[in-house]
Amino acid sequence: MQSRWDIGEPEKPTINTETEQLKSELLTLNMGPQHPATHGVLRIEIWTDSEIVAHAIPHLGYLHRCMEKHAENIDYRGVIPFVDRLDYLASMSMEWTYVAAIEKLLGTEVPRRAELLRIMTAELQRIGSHLMAFGTYALDLGAFSPFLYAFEEREKILRLFEEVSGARLLYNYIWVGGVWNDWTDEQIDRVSAFCDNMEEEAKKYHELVSMNKIFIERTANVGVMSLQDCLDYGASGPVLRGAGMKWDLRKNKPYSLYNEFEFDVPVGTGEVGVIGDCWNRYIVRMKEVVQSIRIIRQVIDKLEPGSVMGKVPKIIKLPKGEIYLRHECPRGELAYHLVSEGDSKTPYRLKVKSPCFTHVSMLPRVAPGQMIADFVATVGSIDIVLGEVDR
Amino acid sequence: MSTHEVIGKPHQTGSFANYFKDLYTGITTTVKGMWITFRYVWGVKPVSIEYPEVREVLPERARMRLFNDVQNCISCTQCAMACPVDCIYIASEKKPEGAEIKKTSNGQPIRLTLTQFTIDTALCCYCGLCTVVCPTECLTHSHDYEFSQYTIDHMKYDYLAPDVIAWRDRIVKT
Repeated sequence: MQSRWDIGEPEKPTINTETEQLKSELLTLNMGPQHPATHGVLRIEIWTDSEIVAHAIPHLGYLHRCMEKHAENIDYRGVIPFVDRLDYLASMSMEWTYVAAIEKLLGTEVPRRAELLRIMTAELQRIGSHLMAFGTYALDLGAFSPFLYAFEEREKILRLFEEVSGARLLYNYIWVGGVWNDWTDEQIDRVSAFCDNMEEEAKKYHELVSMNKIFIERTANVGVMSLQDCLDYGASGPVLRGAGMKWDLRKNKPYSLYNEFEFDVPVGTGEVGVIGDCWNRYIVRMKEVVQSIRIIRQVIDKLEPGSVMGKVPKIIKLPKGEIYLRHECPRGELAYHLVSEGDSKTPYRLKVKSPCFTHVSMLPRVAPGQMIADFVATVGSIDIVLGEVDR
Repeated sequence: MSTHEVIGKPHQTGSFANYFKDLYTGITTTVKGMWITFRYVWGVKPVSIEYPEVREVLPERARMRLFNDVQNCISCTQCAMACPVDCIYIASEKKPEGAEIKKTSNGQPIRLTLTQFTIDTALCCYCGLCTVVCPTECLTHSHDYEFSQYTIDHMKYDYLAPDVIAWRDRIVKT
């Protein structure tokens, strides 16, 4: 692959159409940054030959907030509201990964109840995030009502989070040493009621969208990211699993208490379309929702009353050292590289490895040869959040 | 690389039977989906509320606009130190000798006179870290969420101003 900086004149795609014989010029088209199909402020420069994409160049940085540099001047607790704003649709997972990195350097023991609550919130967040992905993806492809159904369910999750943490999206809930507030029994009951309801809803979505012929025609065999490509670029999460690889950090490198739970890792099987296309990526997310419900139910069974906050010094000062810690987030593997100089209240360096960044970099690979409408379907299927890409 | 690699299945021309099969599945799956949507016409309660006529009751812990009860503030500046965006400005001076030392509601002596307590609400990120460290629990998140202003300067609240102190009757539960 050529670098995006020296692409030169792109070659015209060879497509077996009648227009191939006609002489045509490449047209530059700007998709975004204010385009609803780019899911945020991503600008994609597309060079098109009639309606066929010849080359796509993503331009990043519209949501750059200099978070990594900011973190170097804030104490360890104060960074948590900042990591919330990375992936604003899955803040719980973002917080948890950061906090886990600190706890590992600090050597803090987290109470069992806090750890279980973290798993529960992270899995609820995964459902919420996948519902958002499902709703907006259907919206991209022209179906409006699935979006409303998905948001109705997601609102229940957000309401629970608001009651327990105080905010709807940017929680600051998972703290070093535990979690901020405990869940009451009434809230836990509502979680299990939500799980029962969500299972029915998932079947409804399957009937409404997944098996719809129009949806299949739009997504099957479109935007195929082969397994080799995914491995070359370093893709993870539903993109990698949609390409057929059974790789989930919760299963393969179990962190926290995940080895106590029973769940499957859904992969794209190619029952519709080919493995690695948009439909398979989509269906992996929908199957993950069901697996998350399974985990939440097991968590509720294991929950026992107890403390939710471990012993943490009032002012956190990490010993000298560095850590690279990764967790499985709804969009893939998120990792923090935290460097501590020792005897300092602030991190020396906090590098974020975001899954969406690698997925955006795969777009120029899959774009050539696609129709513009199919390209929209491809961008939607990788489910990017630009806050995480630009940081 | 002379040609772009076209990945995926090539376009299928399809047989006559496939045409009707596609047509059949297209119609049946769409009708199934339409039926699910159609069931929402009756018997399903609306989940949206008609703001501003109807307002949602916020949960107890909801983090909205900050309020500082200056009568209980001991000017310890812990909130300003905990703030990750530095939006709290505090100034205080020593009380003159022999002045009466008042006590806060939870019994802490007020040794300093608070001369300024300003929060730039436009800068605030509503993380709640300042309310946690407050020793006298005078800095709290209120449940006010409708406070848009014409200019960004108006988002700075001086909590020693009489009109802002007047919020106390509404917000602080005794």
